[in-house]
Amino acid sequence: MTLDEFAIIVGTCAGTILICRVVPLFILKGRELSPSTQRALELIPPAAFAALVANDLFKPELFEQGIGSGILPLLAAAIVVVVALKTKNLLACAIVGVIAYVLLMMLGL
Amino acid sequence: MAGYVGIGLPCGIMEQQIGMDPLQAFFLCYIFYSGAGQFMIPGMWLAGAPMATIIASVSAVNTRQILYSASLSKYCQKEGKLLSFFFAAGVTDESFGVNIARFEAGEWKVAQALLVNFFSCTSWAVANFVGALLGEMVAIPVAVGSFAMTSIFICLLCSQRFDKTNTIVVVATIIGVIVCKLIGLSGPAIILGALCGIVVGLLYLRRGGDEDDAR
Repeated sequence: MTLDEFAIIVGTCAGTILICRVVPLFILKGRELSPSTQRALELIPPAAFAALVANDLFKPELFEQGIGSGILPLLAAAIVVVVALKTKNLLACAIVGVIAYVLLMMLGL
Repeated sequence: MAGYVGIGLPCGIMEQQIGMDPLQAFFLCYIFYSGAGQFMIPGMWLAGAPMATIIASVSAVNTRQILYSASLSKYCQKEGKLLSFFFAAGVTDESFGVNIARFEAGEWKVAQALLVNFFSCTSWAVANFVGALLGEMVAIPVAVGSFAMTSIFICLLCSQRFDKTNTIVVVATIIGVIVCKLIGLSGPAIILGALCGIVVGLLYLRRGGDEDDAR
């Protein structure tokens, strides 16, 4: 990666991130949201997290390498779901997820 | 805050793999303070994604901050513009989770919330720094490192309230993402999938879906 390309990526992303964080707060500062708008906004977190998870877990290119490497992330994810529902702890999930992933890899998947 | 060490280490290792040194990784944290964003840049770069796709995807993932920002606005009503600005600029998934719980419980000031943001960001930056140092010594496969982040997302997804509407949104989103990837739209799959889920959810609500939910 050249320094120029890196600077462009970082600069542009930092700009859009800052806009996303700051602008809505200032627009809504001092206003009351209608219940239907609020309800619509509430749909964003489940959609965002579901999209992130699906994007990470479903990789067509892994299935091309064999069924095992395509299923591995799904199996590891199933273990993380159990931990997530029981503990709701981010760190525990990250640790268990990585360990499960490595163990499954060692099993030859 | 401890959660950041778990994600920050592999994130720093990945940043090192694209040629960043530990100090660059450290300062990138203060500029971005976005776990997903910082994971995606090296991840997508190593996968050979074009620059425009990286920028669009990182920005798209962070559009969820709009929601955090919107829901925190009511606690900033009486605060000055400068304080509100710095507070808003430092909001991210985990610090939002901590602060919103305190705000709802009452007796929590924006200045205190700003401190939470700052300390969270610093522990994140230190973890990235150490990760980048480690990355120069040991090679950890990218797939393993990035699964830490996947696990975090799974946990955040599992923490959502699963009423009928949200379940429909989640299912529609997952289908949307998979369809996008199957037809070759891997770059914008996240935002297109999420929009698909939100639209389906709104249609369901418009048909009176919420009456079925115990609220």
